[in-house]
Amino acid sequence: MDLETYKKTWENQPEETNSVSKIDIYKMAHSKSSSVVKWVFILGVIELSIGVCLNLFIPDSYIEAYNDLGLKKFINYSIILNYIIIILFLIIFYKNYKAVSSTENTKRLLNNILRVRRTVKYYVYYNLTGAFIFMVIIYTTVFSNEELFIKNFNPENLEVNINTLITSTIISLIVVIILVLFIIWLFYRVTYGILLGRLKKNYKELDSLEHLN
Amino acid sequence: MQKDLESKFLLDFEQNQNIVHKVCRIYTTNRDAHNDLFQEVVIQLWKNYSKFRGDSKFSTWMYRVALNTAISLYRKSTRSIKTQDIDNFTYKIKSSDYDGTEELQLKALYAAIHKLNDIDKALIFLYLEDKPYKEISETLGITQVNARVKMNRAKEKLKNILNP
Repeated sequence: MDLETYKKTWENQPEETNSVSKIDIYKMAHSKSSSVVKWVFILGVIELSIGVCLNLFIPDSYIEAYNDLGLKKFINYSIILNYIIIILFLIIFYKNYKAVSSTENTKRLLNNILRVRRTVKYYVYYNLTGAFIFMVIIYTTVFSNEELFIKNFNPENLEVNINTLITSTIISLIVVIILVLFIIWLFYRVTYGILLGRLKKNYKELDSLEHLN
Repeated sequence: MQKDLESKFLLDFEQNQNIVHKVCRIYTTNRDAHNDLFQEVVIQLWKNYSKFRGDSKFSTWMYRVALNTAISLYRKSTRSIKTQDIDNFTYKIKSSDYDGTEELQLKALYAAIHKLNDIDKALIFLYLEDKPYKEISETLGITQVNARVKMNRAKEKLKNILNP
């Protein structure tokens, strides 16, 4: 058979039934949203693994100090609870990633992006308030027991006015708490903040695209 | 500015996407590979869209980018195309106004094209798309004389595969 006949056949072939919509083309051209959400998940996993590793390397003297305070159980339970909550967050992050990468429709994608932003915000709030409550509980326990307080904050038993010691310790602890919370906040601002910023930009682009269609 | 460019690109692409689908069909033999190549072409087109100044028609430019992407990806992949994949190669070429003989012919044509090398595939594709030699030479970045010589060889190979 002649090639010209095949050429006719070629010309007559039906158009692709699986044609791709504007929104799909946009997603392919950028393929951003889903990779950003994937990084949210990966970052969460990395953070959790680093946390677990750090916990394994806590020196024994620390644990003993908590033992003296009668806080050993509290610490253990809160660590377990913290892990459970973080794993729940990671499951949600993973589900978000799956949802965003398989969404076909713009409206739903927009909603999914909003949900990702929301869960990340909750995650950051949880970590900040968790750290705050944890520190407050530990320090109030220390202050409520004078003997323990002196053991921990004046181990050499130096001659000091107990009131001055308490006041200065409280002030420095408040500064430490604020500083720790600020560092945690700054860490999230840099990591998740950048990812959320990108998502926000995608959201705006998609939103204007939606109005266009 | 960026926004206008983007919506224009999406519109142009949506209207001409069939070209890319056809390129994917000749360079791949299963749905996943088809979709991967399709996405890669979209990425390449969008990346270079700001450089496309409308010297040629959008579709002409699309032929060039799509074929070059397919050829370079094809070269990178060490995986040879398995013949049994061709049986799975349905791509919904069934249609009510498309009779059985033509369907068989089209299948045979695709099967034959799949046996060609990457450059011959591009040449045959442009021939089937009824492109003039001027456009073929520009698309593939070769001279018109060279395009003619290569085209004749590619057609000869295709004929031999179709009519052994």
